[in-house]
Amino acid sequence: MGDRRGGRFRWAEHTGELELEIEAGSEEAVYAAAVQAMSELLEEAEEADGASRRGARAPAGATARDIAVEAPDRARLLAELLAELAFLAETEGFVPEALERLSVDGRRLEASVRGHRGDPPHLVKAVTYHRLAFDPEDEGWRTTVVLDV
Amino acid sequence: MSALRRIGDVVWEIDAAARPDMRVPARIFADDRLIDAIRQDGALEQLQNVATLPGIVEAAMAMPDAHQGYGFPVGTVAATELPDGVVSPGGVGYDINCGVRLLASELELDDVRQRLESLVHDLSRTVPAGPGRNPRHDFATADLDRVLEEGCRFLAERGLALPEDLTATESAGSLPQADASQVSPKAKQRGHDQLGTIGSGNHFLEVQVVDEVFDGAAAAAYGLRRGQVTVLIHTGSRGLGHQVCTDYVRQMDQVMAQYGISLPDRQLACAPLESPPGQAYFGAMCAAANFAWANRQAITESARAVFRRAFGDAGRLRVVYDVAHNIAKLEEHGGNMLCVHRKGATRAFGPANRETPERYRAVGQPVFIPGSMGTVSYVLAGNDAALDLSFGSTCHGAGRAMSRGEAKRARTGAEVRRELEGKGIIVRCPSSGELAEEAPSAYKDVERVVDVVHRAGLARKVARLRPVGVIKG
Repeated sequence: MGDRRGGRFRWAEHTGELELEIEAGSEEAVYAAAVQAMSELLEEAEEADGASRRGARAPAGATARDIAVEAPDRARLLAELLAELAFLAETEGFVPEALERLSVDGRRLEASVRGHRGDPPHLVKAVTYHRLAFDPEDEGWRTTVVLDV
Repeated sequence: MSALRRIGDVVWEIDAAARPDMRVPARIFADDRLIDAIRQDGALEQLQNVATLPGIVEAAMAMPDAHQGYGFPVGTVAATELPDGVVSPGGVGYDINCGVRLLASELELDDVRQRLESLVHDLSRTVPAGPGRNPRHDFATADLDRVLEEGCRFLAERGLALPEDLTATESAGSLPQADASQVSPKAKQRGHDQLGTIGSGNHFLEVQVVDEVFDGAAAAAYGLRRGQVTVLIHTGSRGLGHQVCTDYVRQMDQVMAQYGISLPDRQLACAPLESPPGQAYFGAMCAAANFAWANRQAITESARAVFRRAFGDAGRLRVVYDVAHNIAKLEEHGGNMLCVHRKGATRAFGPANRETPERYRAVGQPVFIPGSMGTVSYVLAGNDAALDLSFGSTCHGAGRAMSRGEAKRARTGAEVRRELEGKGIIVRCPSSGELAEEAPSAYKDVERVVDVVHRAGLARKVARLRPVGVIKG
């Protein structure tokens, strides 16, 4: 298991959508930062929505999800991970909190994500391939992914 | 963009020679101010990328509400010629058949004013918005497949649509090429309990009043008059459509090279329409489109129930028309069969087109252009001349002018709510963040956008609708 610490993310301006940029010292830290970014996005949206819809699907406490995705390259693996998190949020009310376990073997990524069951809004329609990038930069990695919201 | 030149009153073009990979020009319908806005974000470069699609004909066209999207700019029309022309899921978008439906009542604003607050409240309780699910229309697998393959026809069989609702819907609310077997289990899992729901983002249900009539003959043909209460529904295929697009962008990204296709933006992933992946996507897209029409029909039935509760028989709601603004259609233009992608663009067929409903043949197909939240919307009529100008297409809305982050920094949701309520608009939206993101100031001026469309001859103004109640997710 590599070093998943030290990844940083930010949301860049985009006219209609949300663009996520991540810089990290290792590939593993990129995926960890991506999970944190989705966590922040969904928790903020859940909080903003919560006052009026509290009780529609009451939080059920801590839980975890095992995720397995395949893709032909790193950038697509990242997109698939985020897409799976968006799918779990919409269909199961799963709000991710942190990446607990990660295994990346070429074209396959397996992960365990800790989170909680809540009532997140259906904020992320999809993860696009527009400007999708996961490239080495300096001594680390830099990624870009645009979410359709 | 030094290659951009004006070629008409409100028409601009970047010649195909501007880039070696462009197959056709990039053409933009805009006035001076709108073209400046379009130049600010990445929309022009994205439009030039669209112009590289295999089989594209005439031009990659941007409507006056165009803005940066992902792959295609939002507000684009691109037609590819069969048999080799491609279909691109990104050219339809994730919200397949996002569109607009207008309902007309026989009520005047004075008839409803005293009960407007309770009417909007009842609508917000009856029509789920935001992440809402709709257990009343949670279809088991076999029935969901029928919704996908038959669209509004299946709802009519279930007593949820009148025959005249279907004839007042684009493509009668049912595309025959739909193939439920090409829709993934994941897509069905996302969508099975979302029929009859609005969703979130810029989707809404609005109670409005006809504020102004510009074309008396067309308004009369559409059954619209000044002071009349109407309902506008803006939503699409929800999670089901989003997943269909996700599935097929993924698939086409993987197989594109087998067809010798290489593109400047991965989100433009495509395949020849008549290839197996092209046919699979088209069948799934048509199925998702049918789901969206069924969705707007189910919401119509909910709205009818609310108006009946409030006004009895006097609260009847008639479907004026229903238009898609994220879709790909097989259409014949100039004797050639084309796959016309409309991504944030609306079909606008004129009187001569056989797809224009018979009741509207004298004036042309209705087109609905919603403004931003709290601003006016427009009813337009399609022009025959638009066939030669834009494959019979026009804009779809006001178009975003600023990012969601900028919008939230500029105004709080509470400020936006106060502004709307100050105009006498009753607002039901649980999310302050979303109110801020969808503030009128985050969008272009819909009046300017519609004016360009009118000047360009793409469609002509018929009526203006003013909101009095807004329900958002």
